[in-house]
This record gives sequence, C-alpha cells and structure tokens, in this order.
Amino acid sequence: MPVFGKQDVEAAAARAPLMTGFDTDSWELKGAQILQLSYEIAEEPAEWLIPPALHPSIPPYVTLSVMQYPDSQVGPFALAQVRIIVRAGIRPRGYLLGAYVNSDKAAQELRARWGFRVETAIVSLQARHDRVIGTVERNSETILEVELENPEHISGADVTYLASLHLARVQDRDTPVVVQVDPEYVFHNAQRGRPRIIAFEPSAWGGDGRLRYTSPIIATMTQCDTDLPRLRFALDPSQPAATGGWRLAA
Amino acid sequence: MKFGIFYELSVPRPWDKEAERTVYMNALEQVRLADELGFDQVWAVEHHFLEEYSHCSAPELFLTACAMQTKNINVGHGIVICVPQFNHPARIAERAAVLDILSGGRLQFGTGRSATWTELGGFQANPDETKKSWDEFVHCIPKMWTQDRFGYEGQYFSMPSRAVLPKPYQKPHPPMWVAVTSPGTELDAGDRGIGCLGVTFASFAEQEAKVKEYRRRIQNCNPVGSFVNDQVATVNFLYCHEDNETGAKIGMHMIGHFNYMAAQLDMAKEAYPAKSYPAAGLLPSLRRQASAPGEQAKAPEGIAVGNPEHLIGELKKWESSGSDRVNFLLNAAETIPQAQVLDSLRLFAKEVMPAFADSPPQHAAAGGAS
Repeated sequence: MPVFGKQDVEAAAARAPLMTGFDTDSWELKGAQILQLSYEIAEEPAEWLIPPALHPSIPPYVTLSVMQYPDSQVGPFALAQVRIIVRAGIRPRGYLLGAYVNSDKAAQELRARWGFRVETAIVSLQARHDRVIGTVERNSETILEVELENPEHISGADVTYLASLHLARVQDRDTPVVVQVDPEYVFHNAQRGRPRIIAFEPSAWGGDGRLRYTSPIIATMTQCDTDLPRLRFALDPSQPAATGGWRLAA
Repeated sequence: MKFGIFYELSVPRPWDKEAERTVYMNALEQVRLADELGFDQVWAVEHHFLEEYSHCSAPELFLTACAMQTKNINVGHGIVICVPQFNHPARIAERAAVLDILSGGRLQFGTGRSATWTELGGFQANPDETKKSWDEFVHCIPKMWTQDRFGYEGQYFSMPSRAVLPKPYQKPHPPMWVAVTSPGTELDAGDRGIGCLGVTFASFAEQEAKVKEYRRRIQNCNPVGSFVNDQVATVNFLYCHEDNETGAKIGMHMIGHFNYMAAQLDMAKEAYPAKSYPAAGLLPSLRRQASAPGEQAKAPEGIAVGNPEHLIGELKKWESSGSDRVNFLLNAAETIPQAQVLDSLRLFAKEVMPAFADSPPQHAAAGGAS
C-alpha cells in the first residue's frame, strides 16, 4: 500500500477556516491569468504535510500559483496559493497548504464558501515579454517571489490543472472535513517556461515551515475563463479517501 | 492467436529483506510453468523509481534468468527506454544481442520512451525530446546489429565507427516492437514496419480502429529494420477459475490494486505540459474503471478474469478486433497467492488455449530467421 499522510489533523484543523456550510453558489471568473510553478519537494516532510486520507504523489511535488481575477462577485482580486500534489485514492489532487489574497472581502468569501486557508497580503502578477513574475508581500516581507522565464506558447490542451482539496471546519459539524474544489477552465492562451523561485518563506505557507523544495519541473502561464464551483465532494481527513469520501451535490 | 505473460514486478510495502526476492522468484516459477504450458512470450518492462508499481529496472537480467530456465518461450525485452539519459543505444544493442544469444534466438525487442515524470524527471530527460530520440534509436539499433561497424552523428547521440558486439543470434536481427500508449504511436509503428505492442487497456472498438489503421499504414512502410514485423499484441489481466464469479472477484481485486499503484505515479501529462504526451498513459482507462483496493467491481469489457468459458468469449473478441497476441499480467502486488496464480495458468492452458489452437493466424509469426 502506498504511503499515507501523517499530518496531525486535529492540530491542522485548529488553524483551518470555518465554512458556513457545503451549499454554496458558484462564482464565474472570466479573464483569469494563472501563473503556476511546479517543484519537486523533499519526501520526508511531504508525508507530514498531508492528512492520513491522502497519499503523496511519487515523487512528491508542489504547485505555487499566483492568480489574477479581474472580475468577480466581490470585485477584482489576486490570489496566491501553495499546494502539495497528492492522491485521493487514485485521483490526483492538490492539497492546499496556504493562500493569500489581496482583498478582505474575497478572503472572507473564500474561507466561508470554499474552505480556503487564506489570509490577506499584497499579491501581484506581472506578465512581461521575457518573464512572468508573481509576488506575495506580507507585513513588508516578501514571502513568495516566483518567475516563469523565457515563455513559449503551447496549447491550452497540454495544461493540466488539478482540482484542489481544502481542510476546513464546518458550522454545526464536530469533525473537520476536506472539501474538493474543482474549477473548470477554458483556455485562451497558454505559455510555459523555466520555473524559478527567488523568495519563499516556508513558515508563511502552512506545514509548520517543513516544506523544502528541491528540483524544478515546469512553469505555466495561462489566460482562461474559470470558476469557483459548487462543492461536489468531501472526505474525512482521517480515513483513506477510497472509503472516506462522499458526494455533496450533483 | 498466441498468448504471453507480461511483468511489471510490483512489490508491495513493507519492503523487508525478502519482499523483492519473493516477487522475482514467484515470477520465475510462473515463467517456467508458462513455458511448459505452451505460452509463447514473456515480456518484462523497463521501469525506474516506480515505488511498488514496478521494481523491474534491469529487465535484461530477469529475462536472462527466464531464458536460462526455459526451452521454448520467447523473451520480450520491453519496452527498452530509448532516451539517451536512460540508455545509450549501443548499450541497448549489446545487451539485447547477448540476451538473444543466451536464449538461443528467442528475443523479441520492444522499444518505447517512458510516460512518467517520475522516471523522466529522475533521469533529467526532457519530455519534449523523447519521441524524437526514440525515432533516432530505432533507426540506428538494427544497423548496429547488422553492420560490421557502426558510426553515427545525430541529434541525440553520436559515435565514431565501432563494431557493436556481439551480434544477435537471430539473423538478420530479432523482431522489433514499439509500446503503444499515446494516440498515434500505432501509426509510428506502422510507418516503421515494427510490431504494435499494446500496453494500455483499450476497448474493443478503440483497438479495432487502431489495428485497422496500423494494418493500412504498414503496407507502405519504410522499415527501420531488415524486415517488417506486422504483429499486433495487446495487454490484459488474467485470472482463470472454474467458477466465473470467483474468478471475476479475485481478478478484479488484483486489478484494483494494480490501478491503485499506477495512480500514485506522476504521469508526464499531469506534471509537464508538452504536446509529446497528449495522453496520461494507461491511467485514463484505468480511472474510468476506477476501483479501490478491496472493492469488487464487475469485470470491464474484454478483461480476462472469470471462468474459461467467459475468457474464451472475451479473447475471441480481441481476436476479431485484429490482435495477434495477448500478453497477460498475472498478479499485482502479490494480491493473489502464488499457488492460485499457477492454478490459473494451468486452467487457462487446459481449457482456454485449445479454443485458439486452430485459429488462423492474423499475420505471419514475427521473427527473424535463426
């Protein structure tokens, strides 16, 4: 049997956001720009970053994303997130370690509706001809600065964005849950290039500062229409996903 | 139609001292029995770093052991990864030739390029380049076997003129194949006059369409080797039991474990966006039939688990879809006890094989003249 996560769910849940319930409306997010870097990470910490419901992928890796949404129900916002790639049973997913958004209103909605573990910070995304730069600055400290270097155009069909899993607490529920957030994407433009991490503060991105990135994989930048959908699946973070999941909505 | 067996050599945790040896020894015992029972081929993959799923990183050694313990069964070296960071083509040609000599001309030579980031990233190979390096390798390796000396200046390797030795026992050289995972590779196989080694679990309809196009293309091929190998092989699971329900239940349990282990790997398509990997290897079809370990699902279309009568029906459909050979995975993660695997092989040979004994060959048997 593959390795299971060893995260202390109780401790992690204490820091998890409180959702108002599972029944949330979707948000349409047109004209999004998404910068995503993939980096392999050290194995041993990987197991401690994810709950026992999930397996780390082989080899374990993370995605570091900076996203800009020009229009939403709460106005424009920019979001940055770090996810560790996992397997929920046989399904590849990204387990959210931490996120920052540049709007208080968006932060509130993201926590309450989709279980984002998110705080506010200055988040920016700059697309230039020679590179794309994403940064997150909190309390005058740069906690993330990443680049896609030498972008080259590719087909959007070649880009795979994995659905996310968020650890959250839910009102009127005693135990924490992991909810699946699985946006759809219609790509208008896609590029890829060499990923480069210029600044990364592990302690700012969950996992008690354990995260250690190792080898670069790839960076992509896309322009797309996407969404934050209704929640469809949830799972018990303490049980193997193959048996501990349930459907929320059709 | 001919039948073979196919090894990934999956090793479940915990990995104690005996775990890997047990899997290898069980496999060798199965191969010896398969040889006695009249199975035609044993294939072993080349995989690296694929925890639990495949601990078969030196297939030429395993296949040498198979060859030395058997008399008739062909040894399928495949697929060999034709990517320079994994293997120099001269080393591939040398190792394959030795295996052909030691087996007395029983080598089938399969080629491919890896479909996982786990492996490609591990060897720091560029996923954009693997199809091109595969092409260069399959054009050069037959020349290394047939020419006294071989020298080359290419994009993915260069070498001054040298005698690549030894030469294969089969003359002019062993039959060549390519693993067909990504859509369109069957066309590459047809154009180059090499066998189509199915390694994904396609439906009958998908297989029939692929085979039809492969047969059309190979008529006008420009063969990379000294002869055309126009064989089509497909891969399947095998668990044969007198009772259909028991066979399906045990077989599906094995398949569930296989799916689960395969799903833990980082496929190239998932991790690295590139047009050279349009499909996620064998995983899309596996996920369509998603099952968890321990789950008992109904056997999907075409899967050879159940009683002999059921298996004959399913395999006749594969035969009708144009397949010349079926290679079976017999176990995964040792979920089926060894004695039951051997019983399954015996029952298959006794009750199922005879139903195909008089089948007219789809195509002439692959093989260079010895």
